[in-house]
Amino acid sequence: MTRIACLFIPGDDERIKPALLEIALRHSPSVEDGGPGIVYLDLGGLERLWGGEEEIARRLHRAARELDAAARIGIAGSRAGARFAARAGGDVTIVPPGLDARQLGLAPLALLGLGPEMAARLGRWGIRTLGELADLPVSGLAERLGNEGPRLQRLARGEDATPLRLWTPPPVFEESADCSWGVETLEPLGDLVAGLAEMLCARLRRHELSADTFEWTCRLADRTTHQGDCAPAAPLADSAAAAALLRASLEARPPRAAVEAITLRARPVRVGNVQPRFDEPPRPSPRLLTAALARLSVLVGARGIGSPVILDTHRPDAVRMTPFLLPSPQPSPQRGEGARNPSKENRNPLPHRGRGQGEGAILAVRRMRPPRSVEVTVAAGAPAHLRAAGLAGRIIAGAGPWRVSGEWWTEAPFVQDEWDVELDDGTLCRLVRDGRGWRLEAVYD
Amino acid sequence: MATSTESLPPPGWNREGLDGLLNAFPEGRLSEIVGPRSSGGGSLLLALLARAASRGGLVALVDGADAFDPKTAARAGLDLRALLWVRCGGRLPPAWSAADLLARCPGFAAVALDLGTAGSAAPPSFGVRLQRAAAGNPAVVVVRAPRHVTGSAAALVVSVRRVRACWIGAPRRIRLGGLVSEARVLRSRFDPRLATPGRAWLIEWRT
Repeated sequence: MTRIACLFIPGDDERIKPALLEIALRHSPSVEDGGPGIVYLDLGGLERLWGGEEEIARRLHRAARELDAAARIGIAGSRAGARFAARAGGDVTIVPPGLDARQLGLAPLALLGLGPEMAARLGRWGIRTLGELADLPVSGLAERLGNEGPRLQRLARGEDATPLRLWTPPPVFEESADCSWGVETLEPLGDLVAGLAEMLCARLRRHELSADTFEWTCRLADRTTHQGDCAPAAPLADSAAAAALLRASLEARPPRAAVEAITLRARPVRVGNVQPRFDEPPRPSPRLLTAALARLSVLVGARGIGSPVILDTHRPDAVRMTPFLLPSPQPSPQRGEGARNPSKENRNPLPHRGRGQGEGAILAVRRMRPPRSVEVTVAAGAPAHLRAAGLAGRIIAGAGPWRVSGEWWTEAPFVQDEWDVELDDGTLCRLVRDGRGWRLEAVYD
Repeated sequence: MATSTESLPPPGWNREGLDGLLNAFPEGRLSEIVGPRSSGGGSLLLALLARAASRGGLVALVDGADAFDPKTAARAGLDLRALLWVRCGGRLPPAWSAADLLARCPGFAAVALDLGTAGSAAPPSFGVRLQRAAAGNPAVVVVRAPRHVTGSAAALVVSVRRVRACWIGAPRRIRLGGLVSEARVLRSRFDPRLATPGRAWLIEWRT
């Protein structure tokens, strides 16, 4: 006879859900995640291990209390019965075998988790409790509701033949190495990390997963820790590319002291296999792009690589860099509706054809970073001559000043007057004047 | 120097000319845009990248002088999410290597190296090396420099010069309206007719 325990936490606190599942798994190998605040356990065959049902319920209650969670335990012959017992009863409620139907008779219909349409239909019939549903004639129920009617009635009677949907803890992709002799240089550290990455990637491939982030934690000889992470341009499970990326990241952010132990973690994601469309341009392969970005980060620094994002402010040159991410491949329209791509939420969406037409031929601006100090001679209130390193001349035309200001409500407000000027050699540039004097902000090109 | 204060031509003027010039940039070959500052060379490079990105491709820009302005690029139609921006902070040796590296990474629609307006001597055989990197890779690889730096390796060399600046407002100028520049193909290995003497593209760039 099936006996099910329901571990119920009022309040739907998702933070303790993983801990609840762990508690359940410590007591039974068959555990189901029953939704917000609910965990089911199959108690079949556990008497010899833990004792009777009361003892198991007490153990579960005690373990949940250690998490500061006010758990209620219900034990019955079905999930619905156990859930109702846990919700309606006290800390521990046990429904004797065979009495599920009587126990459930007074339970509200909502306990079955009906859809709004079915709930409204039964409501129109005047059915409010599971007992009322259980008393209806089966044939009439089947005529009106199809197979769903008898199924719901069986649930209302506490007859639940569906096995638990087993929950298994997510695999932890983590590898560690202990090097008590202390690794002092980057080259052997890179080899060490490459070995860990190879093991991690092999495990990822076995699970048909990829990693979208690698994180490392080093225990250093000076009793501090060194942490860091790196994200490939696209999820990957290729050990060579991952090793190249990790080496480059470690070179960019080397540990301060000798490394005595290192732990490498991968954040797994499942990437759907989508066939590229014929009408789309080719994309760099994630492996090659990751390796290229890793080498680029060594050349110019990790901060100098990415895609620009324009900030929502009028401050000049307000731009930040974001990691360059490969667009997730999108399924073709014919097959796309049912396809799943779990990684698309954190990936760059595919630029669409014809998108970003812009305003046509736009005059490019070359920014000086930071703006260069210049000597400007002013005549009749307007700049007349300019002298700077590599740039000097008489100003033959100009327009301005245009005042740009903003963020006066912050600690770093900005205000400056802008001039567009044309030098006698044809150079078009933008001058700005603020409290620090004249500066060359940009050259039109 | 006389300064034109005439009003700008109507929108869309000479757009076919720009498209025709952009079509001349070959895939899998090295191209070069040469011209002094404020000649329109940077704008031509931006238009090239924007067009490649608008077709759904990914583009890479190695910014030797760290002078790229994303706001202008977005106005020109460049989808910034499709852009890999490599900022070299004014150091050109890493820029050479970065361009070489990206040109060898298949999958980009365009790889551009912007050497800034100052320019400097390229390392020996840089052009040949970049040309070999671009070969077999369906990407437009283009170098923007104030002077010709790739030697004989470039399959297409476009020279850009400034014609006039366009100011809005007369008699008192209110703002800079744009720039008219002239582009000429100095060398085209694929279509020698493009390099016919006297053939030029007059392009109006708007602010």
